[in-house]
Amino acid sequence: MRRLSFGGLGVAAVVVALVLPYLVNGYLMYVIDIAVIFMLLALGLCLSLGIAGQINLGQVAFFGVGAYASAIFTVKLGWNFWPAAVLAVVVAVLAGLLIGIPALRVQSHYLGIVTLGLALAFTALVGNLSIAGQAEGLLGLPVPPLGGVDLSSHYLYYYLEVVALALFAPFAYFVVFTRFGRRLRAMRDDSLAAASTGVEVPLARMASFALAGFFGGIAGVLYAGLVRYVSPPSFNIDTMFLLLAMVIIGGRFSLTGTLVGVIALTVVREELSDYASVAQFVYGGLIVLMVVFAPTGLAGAPRRIRQLLSRGTTAAAGGTGPFVPAAAGRQTVTADHPALEVEQLSKRFRGLTALDSVSVRVEAGEIHGIVGPNGSGKTTLFNTVSGIYTCNGGRVRLFGSDVTDAKAYRLSHLGVARTFQNLRLFGRLTVRDNILVALDRSRIWWSWRYILWPVGVWRGERELRRRAQDLLVEYGLEAVADSVPGELPYGTQRRVEIARAMAASPRLLLLDEPAAGLNQQETNQLAEIARSVRDQGTTVILIEHNMSLVMSLCDRVTVLANGTVIADDVPEVVANDPEVIRAYLGGSRELDPAITPAAIADEAAEQKAVR
Amino acid sequence: MIGMTRRAAGDRQQAADQLTGTPVPLVVDGLQVRYGGVRAVHGTSFEVAPGEAVGIIGANGAGKTSTLKAVLGLVGRQATTLRYGDTNLLKTPASAMVRLGIGYVPEGRHVFPGLSVEKNLLLGAYVRKWDATTEQHADEVYELFPVLGEMRGRLAGALSGGQQQMLAMGRALMARPSLIVCDEPSMGLSPILVDDILGALQRLHGTGMSILLVEQNARLCFEAVSRCLVMEHGNVVKTGSVDELRHDPDVRRIYLGI
Amino acid sequence: MQVFLQTFIGGLSLGAIYALVAMGFSIVYRTMGLVNFAHGSVVMVGAYIASTFYLTVALPFAVAMVVAVVVTALVGLIIEGVLRPLETKDVDLMLIGTIGFGIVLNAAVIVIWGATGRAVPTPGFSRPLNLGGIIIRPYDLVVIAVGAVAAVAMWWFLRGTKAGTAMQAVAMDPEAATAVGIRVGRSNAIAFAIGAALAALAGGMAGPVLYVSPALSGVIGIKGFAAAILGGFGNMPGAIVGGLLFGLIDAFSAGWFHGFADVVVYLVFAVIVVVRPEGIFGEQTVSRA
Repeated sequence: MRRLSFGGLGVAAVVVALVLPYLVNGYLMYVIDIAVIFMLLALGLCLSLGIAGQINLGQVAFFGVGAYASAIFTVKLGWNFWPAAVLAVVVAVLAGLLIGIPALRVQSHYLGIVTLGLALAFTALVGNLSIAGQAEGLLGLPVPPLGGVDLSSHYLYYYLEVVALALFAPFAYFVVFTRFGRRLRAMRDDSLAAASTGVEVPLARMASFALAGFFGGIAGVLYAGLVRYVSPPSFNIDTMFLLLAMVIIGGRFSLTGTLVGVIALTVVREELSDYASVAQFVYGGLIVLMVVFAPTGLAGAPRRIRQLLSRGTTAAAGGTGPFVPAAAGRQTVTADHPALEVEQLSKRFRGLTALDSVSVRVEAGEIHGIVGPNGSGKTTLFNTVSGIYTCNGGRVRLFGSDVTDAKAYRLSHLGVARTFQNLRLFGRLTVRDNILVALDRSRIWWSWRYILWPVGVWRGERELRRRAQDLLVEYGLEAVADSVPGELPYGTQRRVEIARAMAASPRLLLLDEPAAGLNQQETNQLAEIARSVRDQGTTVILIEHNMSLVMSLCDRVTVLANGTVIADDVPEVVANDPEVIRAYLGGSRELDPAITPAAIADEAAEQKAVR
Repeated sequence: MIGMTRRAAGDRQQAADQLTGTPVPLVVDGLQVRYGGVRAVHGTSFEVAPGEAVGIIGANGAGKTSTLKAVLGLVGRQATTLRYGDTNLLKTPASAMVRLGIGYVPEGRHVFPGLSVEKNLLLGAYVRKWDATTEQHADEVYELFPVLGEMRGRLAGALSGGQQQMLAMGRALMARPSLIVCDEPSMGLSPILVDDILGALQRLHGTGMSILLVEQNARLCFEAVSRCLVMEHGNVVKTGSVDELRHDPDVRRIYLGI
Repeated sequence: MQVFLQTFIGGLSLGAIYALVAMGFSIVYRTMGLVNFAHGSVVMVGAYIASTFYLTVALPFAVAMVVAVVVTALVGLIIEGVLRPLETKDVDLMLIGTIGFGIVLNAAVIVIWGATGRAVPTPGFSRPLNLGGIIIRPYDLVVIAVGAVAAVAMWWFLRGTKAGTAMQAVAMDPEAATAVGIRVGRSNAIAFAIGAALAALAGGMAGPVLYVSPALSGVIGIKGFAAAILGGFGNMPGAIVGGLLFGLIDAFSAGWFHGFADVVVYLVFAVIVVVRPEGIFGEQTVSRA
């Protein structure tokens, strides 16, 4: 149903786009020409800001680089428009990578300041460079030669732009809805969890800026060919803010929304063309209103209206199906090395010693429990082992290889997967997308196919989706596959997180308090899943407070207290260890004489007999 | 601690006396807490009579901290009744709790790390004028926790875990609370420090202050309070006096899983 | 030597203005963890209001300054009030919200006062002093003095008053602050108002020194940012040192780099942010990748 109406809209849009020049006068054609250029420019901003979550206030600089480069190559070096255009886009991409370097180190506000500063530096630079014409800029740019077609006509130039849009806009959609775009979105939603599923976050950030540069460069080149002059004021901060308004008001998470935003603001500016400042006031005000009341912009309106209308009726998110374990033995268990060897691991935070020479050994194929009172260092241990913290001493070995201080995404590619104490699902991605991100085991260099062999991306996509469907069925998540995590009950979200972790086919699975917040039935299901995971060849380590779960599920248990290991043995022995008992139940100088190992064993025996 | 003279102990008790307000009953009925889709607390009910010391124990994730935060208005909650004396707490914002006489010692201490010990204590008395009486209260806190007195100019972030715990308690006492709500004060502390905290709690109880204490360490709890609730999976599964619960097998099951 | 000292004083005066801007940034960042992208525009609004009341309404310069400070502080309160729901939810969105406000203020200024700027004559005794062969504008000394007083006042406020201490506490731990009875929303509003007041002070004093125009918001905004970061974002003494340094750089480099001075400034501070975001003195919170 949806597909049909989109198809219908699509056809209508294409028809309108093709006949548009016949319907408008010369001035309006020029306005539309500018708008199409802004569409391409805004797509670049949307990709970096909304899709990848990078505060990119330098987009206008990429626009300027593309335009100025094209101008300099044609006017100062006498090149033909087309080769100059290609090189100008390359330069813009390089500019994108350059401005993206700060993104490796800082995010959010700092990134905003730096990118803004570099954008201002650009105008200051070209305003002073003699080769760029300084304050007057460069005039008399050549008309792009195209056989007999006179591209100095705005009408004909329009068709050139439409070709560019038809070529590159679908490319943007292609990127967003396949694996690379999914990774960017995952990184935006939760960069920590994304790294743990194998996303190389720093490179992904750079790549998103390169994309922004690419689209900015194309827009710049088209601009230079259209107006045939470049000067600093065209690429100043006001233009940046206009761009930002288009993307925010249209909806930064949506490419279509961004395009709508461009159209909407172009209309506003035209209506208020005599009152340019009033127009600016309006869209500045709209940004503020959107940000507070409608953060998803115009693109998010349909969904919110639907939500408002259906208020009161509980949205049945579709129940979860049963857990259907896949065939056992998906991987062979290498028995030569222990799955995990932690040796004398220490971790300090500003004076607080969270881990003090902790040593743990987990054999391949084990289900190993890590328990201990609050604040004993369990999650710190997980975080250090899974690459989120670096340690202050000690070694970590994964199946025999030293992985001490390895980054999270590298560990993911070495076969480590984890869940988090505070559920870290990708909030704006559907359940299916969450799993697709983890299924993607490729390194970022695989992405060359986007440019040179898109068919390969398409084929890979089909394969990923097929495997995702299998996984969804296995974990009983088919019915909720197209929901976002926020719509699902907590127990289901936990299951999604485990499914996502398993999608990476890990050799070692770390579960951080997986039973927290689950009722008895859900806890039983969790145990079933954990056993099946182990039977498939994955070693499981879990942190838990639910002691009955730990005792019944785990082959061995390590007890941490105050950052040190106080016990490490099979559950029955650990439960009777007086030091463990003291860590949990006691703290006083003498133990209650009634609570002795023998007494507890007697009680347990009595209870078992009664049952 | 062990070598403390009787006179010093008496001074401390006196200091504790000065820092106590007049308590009224805390009545909680049908308390529910939700985080997003998760129900962390399913409808707990309990009371703390004036001057009583009540504990809440249970494994992690049982809902103990959520219960405390809900009473204090630090998380969204619903309840049939939530009263402190005549004041309806459901209509009281979190920042107004101090004025009612409810002091809070958060889990994990939460001192203000970039401010000195002295400033931290003064902030405890934020709702009062910072005058001579407030300084006197600070002196009384230093009496109760001498080590804080020695470190009054140091930044709170530089203190050890145990010292920070004392600072957090002292800060809560600065506003002369009648009810002190304490969340896992023993967390991450060595047994000796746990004893110190226990001593302070007992002293405060001795002045007639109401205490609501959450602890994962059941032993500490039993020695500080007279009555205890046991929570599991967001529900109160048992209540009873400390003597009753001390030997209860259910308690051991919850903690040790057997 | 004469020229050096004269440039030095001029640089200090300009630096005092940048320091005021930087302090305004820093107090908001320190207490709320928010970089206020509208801050430059607020400075500009302060400049316009002060110059209007001084030139058009013909009030004494000091009185015009007071009016500017009060009105601009109100603007700050409005910004904080509107964006308050986002404080705990999504900081990136709040950042974009401040950009929106910046756009609104810029546009409002052009609508009210037109796009061309205005030159503000130096108030008071315009005859320069001659101290041992060095020519100094009295106004420069006034600016430096005002800057110094503001710096001391901020220092006293943050360290010596209950409200200032509470503001720091809110920045360190909002939940614990609430538990001791501090109203976080109100504290943030006050921080914003103070930031805006400092901006107005900077803008008003900048009138006779720089050209008052809509472009002022960008120029002074970025340099104020840069100064705040250089000294360590959120760090008050750092903001002052950073501001003074930038003022001196500006005064001395105008001779060296000519038009490229601005480019150099931006590049330098971009490098600083990447290499050492904590600035010279280190700062409170930085959210790294």
